[in-house]
Amino acid sequence: MKMALFKSFFARQMLSTHQAVLSTIRTQSSNLKPDPDAPVEMENPFKKELKQCILCKLNIDPDYKNYRLLSQFQSPYTGRIYPRHITGLCKRKQMQVEQEITKAQDFAYMPYTYKHKIFLKDPKLFDPENPVRSHRF
Amino acid sequence: MPTYELALLLRNMPKPELKTSLKRISHAIFDCGGIIRNIENLGFRPMPYKSTAHGMTHKEANYFIFKIDTPTKAVIDLKEEYKRDVDIVRQRFFKVKEEERKACTLEEELLPPAYREDVQKMIQIGKTQVNRFTYKFKYNSGLDYYPFQK
Repeated sequence: MKMALFKSFFARQMLSTHQAVLSTIRTQSSNLKPDPDAPVEMENPFKKELKQCILCKLNIDPDYKNYRLLSQFQSPYTGRIYPRHITGLCKRKQMQVEQEITKAQDFAYMPYTYKHKIFLKDPKLFDPENPVRSHRF
Repeated sequence: MPTYELALLLRNMPKPELKTSLKRISHAIFDCGGIIRNIENLGFRPMPYKSTAHGMTHKEANYFIFKIDTPTKAVIDLKEEYKRDVDIVRQRFFKVKEEERKACTLEEELLPPAYREDVQKMIQIGKTQVNRFTYKFKYNSGLDYYPFQK
């Protein structure tokens, strides 16, 4: 009889302490650890890199004195300036390049009707046969 | 005083003569109240095309660049003076502009036409105007005859 009483008492004690421990864990978890399955605030990982033209990317301002760079935007056959759909420049840089080329030609730094032969083997910035947008001809 | 850049081509001549002509050119700038910031010598080299000045045909020239500050009114006088100078093959003045940096707009330019801002503006303008391809004369306009040739 005595043993049974003791057992029941012990069980009650254990239960009560266990509940207390559980409750403390719950309160702690609600305070410190958020739900790991909750959505996380972050930047769009699939966002594509911003497209920039080559002169904006390298931070180059076209200048009539740098006629070697300008001659890369000139046709080696006719000396004419390649348009924007071939060069792949932004509107602003294309305008600047065209202005500087006409300036350099006027100041006798660059020829009008051909590309200087020492610049013919310069690296190609773009392919005139494969323009960004299709030719209208 | 605004900043100007002066691109000069001088004719082929021996060095002492070149020196005196450069002195003459720079003194003309000082006389009109200007200052010289910098002189760059790009060397003696062949021109991309031949040009004629003072009855002589030049295929090579001495390339110089002057960076100067002069009053705006003096530029015409300087041009006039250099035009008469026999040693100068070609002279070009231009004002130096400070280019402000702007973000690249290539991303927006590569969008399909319907998403481009300038195209949308054009569509808005087009909507305010009469489409002359679909416009038809209305016969109930008060006139009892068609006023134009049919």
